[in-house]
Amino acid sequence: MKNKLSSIRLILVIMSLFLYPSCGEDFLQVKPLGEINAQNFFQEEKHGGWAVNAIYNQLRSWDMVSFPYLGMTDIVSDDAVKGSFPADAERLNAFDDFTYDSRTPEDIRQTWKGYYQAIFRANIAIEGIPKIPKMNENLRKKWLGEAHFLRAYFYFNLVRWFGQVPLITKPLTQEEFYTQQRAAVEKVYDLIKSDLNLAISSLPLKSALDAADLGRVTKGAAAGLMAKVFLTQRDFSNASKWAKEVIDSKEYSLFPDYARLFRKEGENGVESLFEIQATALEASWAGATPFNMVQGVRGSPNLGWGFNNPSDDLVRSYEPGDPRRDATVLYVGEVLPDGSGVIEDNPSMENERYNQKAWVESHPGLQDNGPGNIRILRYADVLLIAAEALNELNNPSEALKYLNQVRQRARGTRTTVLPDVVFTDKLTLRERIWKERRIELAMEQQRWFDLVRTDQAEKVMKNVGKNFIKGKHDLFPIPQTEIDLSEGKMAQNPGY
Amino acid sequence: MIFRDNNKLFRQSLFIIYAIMFCHLNAFSQIRVSGKITDEKGEALIGVNVLVKNTNNGALSDLEGKYSLEVPDKQVVLVFSYVGFSSKEINLEGKSELNVILSESVELLNEIVVVGYGTQRKSDLTGVVGTIKSEEIQKFASANITQALQGKIAGVQVVSGSGRPGEAPIVRIRGTGTLNGASPIYVVDGLILDNIDFLNASDIASMEVLKDASAAAIYGTRGANGVIIITTRQGAKNTKAQVRFNAWQGVQQPAKLLALTNAGEYGLLVNELSNKPVFTDLNALGSGTDWQNEIFRNAAFRNYNLQISGGSDQMTYSISGDAFLQDGIIRSSYFNRYSLRINNTYQLASFIKIGHNLSYVQSAANREPGGIVFNAYAADPTAVAVDADGKFGNTSVLSNVSNPVAQLKYNAYNRYGGQQLAGNAFIDIHPLKNITLKSSIGFNSFMNKSKSFEPEFYVNDKQRNPESRLFVGNSQTSDWQWENTAVYQKDFKEHRVTLLTGYTVQSRQGEFLGGSRNRLIGDTEDFYFLNAGDAQTATNYQGANTPERYESYLFRSNYAFKDKYLLTFSFRRDGSSKFGSEKRGGNFPSLAFAWRAKEEPLLKNLQGLSNLKFRVSWGILGNDKIPTGAAIPTVTNNLSAVFGPDEALIFGASLVTLANPFLQWEESRSLNGGFDIGFLDNRLTAEVDLYHRLTTKILVPVPIPDYVGSAGNPYVNAADVVNKGLDITLNFQNKEGKFNYKWSVLGSFIDNNVISLGSTGNALRDVVINGDFATLTQPGYPIGSFFGYKVAGVYQNAEDVKTYPNNNPVKPGDLRFEDINADGIINAKDRTWLGSPIPAVNYGFNLELSYAGFDFNAEFNGVYGNKILNAKKMFRGFGIPNFETSFLNRWNKDNPSNTDPRITNGGYPNFVVSDYFLEDGSFFRLRTLGIGYSLPENLINKMLINSLRVFARANNLFTWTKYSGYTPEVGSENVLQVGIDRGIYPLSKTIVFGVSCHF
Repeated sequence: MKNKLSSIRLILVIMSLFLYPSCGEDFLQVKPLGEINAQNFFQEEKHGGWAVNAIYNQLRSWDMVSFPYLGMTDIVSDDAVKGSFPADAERLNAFDDFTYDSRTPEDIRQTWKGYYQAIFRANIAIEGIPKIPKMNENLRKKWLGEAHFLRAYFYFNLVRWFGQVPLITKPLTQEEFYTQQRAAVEKVYDLIKSDLNLAISSLPLKSALDAADLGRVTKGAAAGLMAKVFLTQRDFSNASKWAKEVIDSKEYSLFPDYARLFRKEGENGVESLFEIQATALEASWAGATPFNMVQGVRGSPNLGWGFNNPSDDLVRSYEPGDPRRDATVLYVGEVLPDGSGVIEDNPSMENERYNQKAWVESHPGLQDNGPGNIRILRYADVLLIAAEALNELNNPSEALKYLNQVRQRARGTRTTVLPDVVFTDKLTLRERIWKERRIELAMEQQRWFDLVRTDQAEKVMKNVGKNFIKGKHDLFPIPQTEIDLSEGKMAQNPGY
Repeated sequence: MIFRDNNKLFRQSLFIIYAIMFCHLNAFSQIRVSGKITDEKGEALIGVNVLVKNTNNGALSDLEGKYSLEVPDKQVVLVFSYVGFSSKEINLEGKSELNVILSESVELLNEIVVVGYGTQRKSDLTGVVGTIKSEEIQKFASANITQALQGKIAGVQVVSGSGRPGEAPIVRIRGTGTLNGASPIYVVDGLILDNIDFLNASDIASMEVLKDASAAAIYGTRGANGVIIITTRQGAKNTKAQVRFNAWQGVQQPAKLLALTNAGEYGLLVNELSNKPVFTDLNALGSGTDWQNEIFRNAAFRNYNLQISGGSDQMTYSISGDAFLQDGIIRSSYFNRYSLRINNTYQLASFIKIGHNLSYVQSAANREPGGIVFNAYAADPTAVAVDADGKFGNTSVLSNVSNPVAQLKYNAYNRYGGQQLAGNAFIDIHPLKNITLKSSIGFNSFMNKSKSFEPEFYVNDKQRNPESRLFVGNSQTSDWQWENTAVYQKDFKEHRVTLLTGYTVQSRQGEFLGGSRNRLIGDTEDFYFLNAGDAQTATNYQGANTPERYESYLFRSNYAFKDKYLLTFSFRRDGSSKFGSEKRGGNFPSLAFAWRAKEEPLLKNLQGLSNLKFRVSWGILGNDKIPTGAAIPTVTNNLSAVFGPDEALIFGASLVTLANPFLQWEESRSLNGGFDIGFLDNRLTAEVDLYHRLTTKILVPVPIPDYVGSAGNPYVNAADVVNKGLDITLNFQNKEGKFNYKWSVLGSFIDNNVISLGSTGNALRDVVINGDFATLTQPGYPIGSFFGYKVAGVYQNAEDVKTYPNNNPVKPGDLRFEDINADGIINAKDRTWLGSPIPAVNYGFNLELSYAGFDFNAEFNGVYGNKILNAKKMFRGFGIPNFETSFLNRWNKDNPSNTDPRITNGGYPNFVVSDYFLEDGSFFRLRTLGIGYSLPENLINKMLINSLRVFARANNLFTWTKYSGYTPEVGSENVLQVGIDRGIYPLSKTIVFGVSCHF
């Protein structure tokens, strides 16, 4: 018995040696489950398309199309006031009053952040797509063209808002996080133009787009944006060259009915060069933007939050009988464009009128499920760019041709309003074209850029009683957090 | 690969260690010894621990004081130990019956403490281990047992992050060593866990906190933030069934309510900051609605626990059931937990024991409506909660928040809970004298469910839901761990050696699945299933967490010479799947030495001095608490775009965050020196430890500039941090006749300093509040220090505005900041270090008294020297939220204050980060106050009850603090974000009454 026990013990001792095994070579090598990671991304053709779609996706984010965007375009300009109840998002009054600073309202930082996240996605695509081992080369070219166009669009807005900005053209590594400096404005424009050139040479014409690709950017969009870039830089000959390239392509025309242009039927229509695409799905809000909600009628009918209200000054500035006023502004007592209701007076609202261009027909889901495409660049804008540039180039007759095309469409079948403009002198015509831009593109987030670009901001804002300081308010402040993180490598804009 | 090669070497050395062990092959047989243990008065002592010296072979005395156990031969030494009595070591000298008389003592040195992968006599410890026993753990009425550590062990800081029922507090051991995931790990009966929410206080036999590197190094990469070892109750051999029943119930209420402006005061302030008056008749407003009153309640909670334990000479058992039922102080919230535990051991043969510790837990809880605490803080007091017609008041017009009372009706269904099965099964083999082999399989498996429902409702345009909606989510996690250890123990005359080697692997894996639907066909709970919703509105998700795997080898040797000089060496090699293959392995050695000076001839006979021991230790520990995937970024799906005439959603995916493939272990090297001293038969004892801990390559998600474009902050090995500290514990206990008393004082002093920040530059900034980073971490300062403007006064007039020019426009009545750099203009460069969120001192004071059947105890704890940023007060959001009453001290024409600014609603300078919002976080709290009465034995013995105690206990009764928030204990899991009060679920004070009996 004792021997037996001893031998059992001996066996146990020997067995115990095997209690020190080693798991297989792969035990510590785990893979993420249900996910692709950086190591196996950009290995297949479809990954390139995904990465480009992800850039478009960012265009619909809160940071890029709601308070931050509207605050830094319409509300800050003479076209609109904050809107909603006095106490609601009171911080946005800083845009109306020019009291914003490097910290508040936080919307300025949200814009900065949202745009750089969009640039990050563009850079990921631009860096990754050329690495895809095997794919259709036409597709590769087209997708790269789209990514370059979108990056140019992002930088164009950034440089107009902030002036010198860090020029990030690839995903940064840890050593590069804190060492970036603000690039000279010229350098930023150089990148924008080279990106647009690449887009122009790689993208199809709008008419050559597959139906399923409707809404993707095209050669025409890139050429149109190029015209605007040159106009902003006051390079009028290039501005007119690129605007006329668009015009002469015959790819675009003016949508006959100005009011209907901003409804669903006008989306991606004959006039459209570039729109942020959105849709209201039933199950989720994955296709929506907050753009319609934040500007929607507040109260009854309950369509939104009621921000970004057209200002008294804008309403006053229309020529008598200009039908574009009623197409741009929704008033209390007005029947909604689709006849679905009447806007009732909401006593809590100040200055109660709404941006009709952001109004949308009824759609699935709540007001959060905003389906409206956001018009970024349309043919009328290009015509006015051409008109402005040609006038500066002392070609008033051609300028008038384009200007009057815009007025004619606005006029429609009415004969007593908006007569054609006739030439008097270059200076007067310049003012006329600027005025036409304001009216034609009112509440389309263009006004602020035009005011600063044409150096009218100080005069115009003082006229409406705003404390605009020249040399300061032409640019927005760089977020304090960025300056702090750069440990002084980034300087603040003057005056902040 | 590096790891692999070393493995081989390591296994070879293990073999050699084995070989040494086998040199002492010695078969032995078993002999039974029994006897009776009594105290000096001859009364039987129950539950005395009888142990064959230097083995794990032991038994407990039964109700008659009798014990019985098998010993290998009749020459062994038996060790008899019992709390409150002097231990005795007696050589059997051939006897088979041994009756023992133990004498009462306050000598605690032979107490057994649990250490990593084993136990040790407290007197043999070389490292720093704090112990807390079951009675202490049960004193604090809480769902989470870590609450019991508060103020009990020097160097352990417990912060109740929130008073939400069932929520775990934040635990820090010896300060904040790391920037990220600074929480310790928990080892429950050998099973390594991050979370011990499932344990109930009655099941715990002891908790030991391993504080220094020598004690914790055996846990290698997991041990850098300290280790808390938890041992659950076991039955004792050869004892009759012991039945313990505990029950208490009580009530909780908010420990404090905030001072907010009432309707009239709010109206006054709103009028002052608006261009034209909003309220025309302030007097008509009255006091309005007190929203805090509307959401808080006196909430009941109760706990019932039944435990039966015992054993024969073949087995031991302990079975317990527990129900913990807690309503939250916010209406609608509750947390109920039911648990069952079975801890058994079976002696299969004299040299083989198997056993298991199994626990099954079921929990069902409801979370308060989202944001309700903040909404009650911010809601417009001029709005009614509910009007006479039953309509909810509109709090959205001015204050722009949801009506909290309406939320209690419409957003109150937020269920969560689930089932957890955790435990282990083990086998102990004692094949040869001196050798013990142990293999243990542990597992921890959760199934969690959550369900929330929102009916269709309309309160106002902003607070409404046009379609009912149901969300459900299920997740399951399964962890397993396999541990194998071999222990060799041998005395060679004056030398005592214990060697331990081990191999462990651990794996964690989890999956989740959920979805939502709208337009349910019914509004009551029996319809809360996805199938009852409209399929057209369905959403779903399912995924898996990246598995986490660990593989480790460990080794430890303890050596004692003459029981005076004690030496411990330990080593652990760890591999973790969280890191890239280049950085996978880590080595963690430690060394410790202790000298029991009292045993030296010079001191041995010194009257009065009963203990003196010096300790010194050094070791390296690691920390790998980063999310899996931090080293390799994953592609984010569903970044879809809309294209085509049908406006179809076209799939998109991309990388949106950066990751860092070069991540590696964070390491901490610590040095500890200390002594234990005892006087007057150890009635007075002190433990003093001084430590220095350098943590290098700290893993942290570093805030990076927004222009980088990453949607999240990548982890980097960023900084080196030093924690220097002093932990002191003093205990005194005495007895005069029937009067027993005991007090203890403990304090820990911490100095936390950042040494360098490596590649991240000169500073780390975090927590953006109103456009500024509120914390700054830089060399020479504590982690997460507050950073901002210093208030110099208030601009009194236009003259002042000219005299103290500010870069931004300011008006009379605005805060005037100090021109720190004295360049004549106040701008962003004038922000400066404002204070530390880390207390310089944590202290506690405990008192226990007993007389005849009565007992009384009081526990105090506090912190000193930290600041809190009252961030909830800085938030002005989308509307005009309610104000704290301190805003009534505002500057205006009638009150030219030089400390409080004019009333504004956000913006520079009055609402940016400045010391105006920084408050003193020091506090002193009466944490526990308890009284109890044990019924006289002659009375209860007739009822067949051994003991019966009734008690009353109050927790968090008083807090003395200058801090204005709900509680000065404001924690955060992220150490760059500590001490920022954004409005939390308030702490509650509680009173409970209970009974505990023992049959």
